[in-house]
Amino acid sequence: MSTEIQNAAKSHAGRWEPYVDNGGTSLAIAGPDFCIIASDTRQSEGYSINTRYDSKVHQITDKVLFATSGYSADGKKLAENIKIQAEKYLDKNDKIIQAPSIAQMTSIIMYQKRFFPYYVFPILAGLDGEGKGCVFSYDPVGNMERVGFQVYGSASALIQPFLDNQVGLKHQENVDKNRTLSKQEAFDLAIDSFTSATERDIYTGDYLEIYTVDSTGIHKEVRTLKFD
Amino acid sequence: MDKNILKEIVGEHEGGFSFANAKRNEYLTQNGGVMPNATKTGTTIVGLIYKDGVVLGADTRATAGTIVADKNCAKIHYITPNIYCCGAGTAADTEFTTNIVSSQLALHSMNSGRQAHVSTAMTLLKQYLFRYQGHVSAALVLGGVDINGPHLYTVYPHGSTDKLPFVTMGSGSLAAMAIFESRFKPNMERDEAVELVKDAIESGIFNDLGSGSNVDVCVITKDKVDYLRNYAKPNERVPKLKSYKFARGTTAIISETVRKFNSVKDEDAMEVV
Amino acid sequence: MFLTRSEYDRGVNTFSPEGRLFQVEYAIEAIKLGSIAIGVKTSEGVVLGVEKRITSPLLVGSSIEKILEIDNHIGCAMSGLTADSRTIIEHARVEAQNHTFVYEEHIPVESLSQSICDLALRFGEGAHGEESIMSRPFGVSLLVAGYDHKGPQLYYTDPSGSLVLYEAKAIGAGSEGAQTELQQSYYKTMSLEEAEVLVLKVLKQVMEEKLTNSNIQLAKVTPSKGYQIHTADELAAIIARLDEQE
Repeated sequence: MSTEIQNAAKSHAGRWEPYVDNGGTSLAIAGPDFCIIASDTRQSEGYSINTRYDSKVHQITDKVLFATSGYSADGKKLAENIKIQAEKYLDKNDKIIQAPSIAQMTSIIMYQKRFFPYYVFPILAGLDGEGKGCVFSYDPVGNMERVGFQVYGSASALIQPFLDNQVGLKHQENVDKNRTLSKQEAFDLAIDSFTSATERDIYTGDYLEIYTVDSTGIHKEVRTLKFD
Repeated sequence: MDKNILKEIVGEHEGGFSFANAKRNEYLTQNGGVMPNATKTGTTIVGLIYKDGVVLGADTRATAGTIVADKNCAKIHYITPNIYCCGAGTAADTEFTTNIVSSQLALHSMNSGRQAHVSTAMTLLKQYLFRYQGHVSAALVLGGVDINGPHLYTVYPHGSTDKLPFVTMGSGSLAAMAIFESRFKPNMERDEAVELVKDAIESGIFNDLGSGSNVDVCVITKDKVDYLRNYAKPNERVPKLKSYKFARGTTAIISETVRKFNSVKDEDAMEVV
Repeated sequence: MFLTRSEYDRGVNTFSPEGRLFQVEYAIEAIKLGSIAIGVKTSEGVVLGVEKRITSPLLVGSSIEKILEIDNHIGCAMSGLTADSRTIIEHARVEAQNHTFVYEEHIPVESLSQSICDLALRFGEGAHGEESIMSRPFGVSLLVAGYDHKGPQLYYTDPSGSLVLYEAKAIGAGSEGAQTELQQSYYKTMSLEEAEVLVLKVLKQVMEEKLTNSNIQLAKVTPSKGYQIHTADELAAIIARLDEQE
């Protein structure tokens, strides 16, 4: 019996494992003329914290942000690639690339690695060509969907149902389903989502970066979460 | 299952302790079976000996996978009036192991008319754990003061023990030990000892994801025990920004039935004699 | 010693001592032998017009295509060795489709025109062993008409790979005269219908044959309907409008 276990352990230890889950949570909420993007900054591996401040939100243009979760190194490389492509688009077409174009391009960049994917769950968010808030979410091989709000990462199972209820107004009777969130409401919801997730998810914590994108530009705020 | 197949897997049962279930589980796992998961307390627990006795410390986070199952659980367990025991590992195992030993020692004290020795508690724990060959996941820090003075032990899940002046256990043991290694000295004063234990636990709370929330401390001296529950609370929750009260009528009513019960009349009232 | 002119003529990628690439210059000359093509831009869209030379009464006129669609929002008229345009049009159409595939939007007209010019000098052997598609320069010039976020645009490309933006441009046989006429008659506030008439007017002046609805082609690119090529009936109606004015 012991040799069987030893053999199993040996073959397992010898296998190449290219992916790591670095935890963390990212969220985006689209409003009629704004967008809120929030991400915690804890970057961890197993029971250890690698760093308490590692940004998962990347700026692509002056209207579009790219939030990641999953494997940190892949997230950074993917964001870098998208940024490079966005810049090339500007050089080639003499025009700043707009959110839906970045969204489609991102999908293609991810699908190009269909059989060795980026281990990333990305959210692309900002303002679209008409100035409306937009959120695009992806799976690691590039399946894309335009949504009203999205949470990805270690606390997604905790926050997504909360936003389904509070933003999507799911499971609520006698409420105006056409009601839209104000910028302040969405901002506060994002913060409450993270302070609550921090209580129960060990991989979410340390600091929170919150970006508000509107017609005046991108505004960043950093808040502390808990360090335990 | 066919009896012969079971024999093949498990072997003849020839008396003594039976590991049939453990072997069965191993077989099932190999064939793609999934075992139910027990709650593990990724934990920081510590203990040290100071001038007048023993100080034990623990964090208060209990986890189920990556989710915090209990934000303020108590990991310092009572063994006897003069002995306490910190537990790390599977919550149920630490709870049961310490409870069983606690009741055995209570009986022992009543039979012998003497206060329990810390070494006796340690022996009972290691014998119990050895019997289960590490399948009972309890990693313990045992501390107390008896007729022979203060004693501090660690007990590992397989039944081995250490006797040391300062010890740490659990997933946060490295973080906590770093503090002890840099600041421990023999014969400390109480305040200094408690402060060191608190800092060691906080080191686990902040640097180990399996540990969190508050610091519990237990100071055991010759004739007094101070169980300082939530001695430090370095992680208080901030208030929520919004109110999440739902207006009346928000919950959907799927079906409604009204039943009429017989009304009670004056004549029906029970007579009181 | 200098080589003789004829020896410089042979190399498609060798400068003459005077700094000229004769083969490219000859290619530009070849355009002038082609039948005329005209483009006129207005704020409402762009109009393209070409002459089809029906060299024999037995020739089926409708088989000559000198205005082609590149994408919904871009059309192109040509003059010169029109067979050479096949490679270019194929390339341009692929570029347009690829842009839509990657970015979920129409390719900007300038980007598309630039991608056409990228082909122009890929003749002979590439310095780094890239595959070349032609052994000589293209013998065709294009007028690219399109619409995008910058509004209606008209680009002119030639075999040297240069790309120029025009408000009105004529290429091919008789283009000098046509260009002079355009300069005199064109004004910025012109409507699309006026531009159609202007194109016909200039074609009529330059063409040797009598202008009919079967020996010309006319197309327009508008923001609302994109690229549209006119049918014979529509052409007849515009010819009637021209006759009315004259």
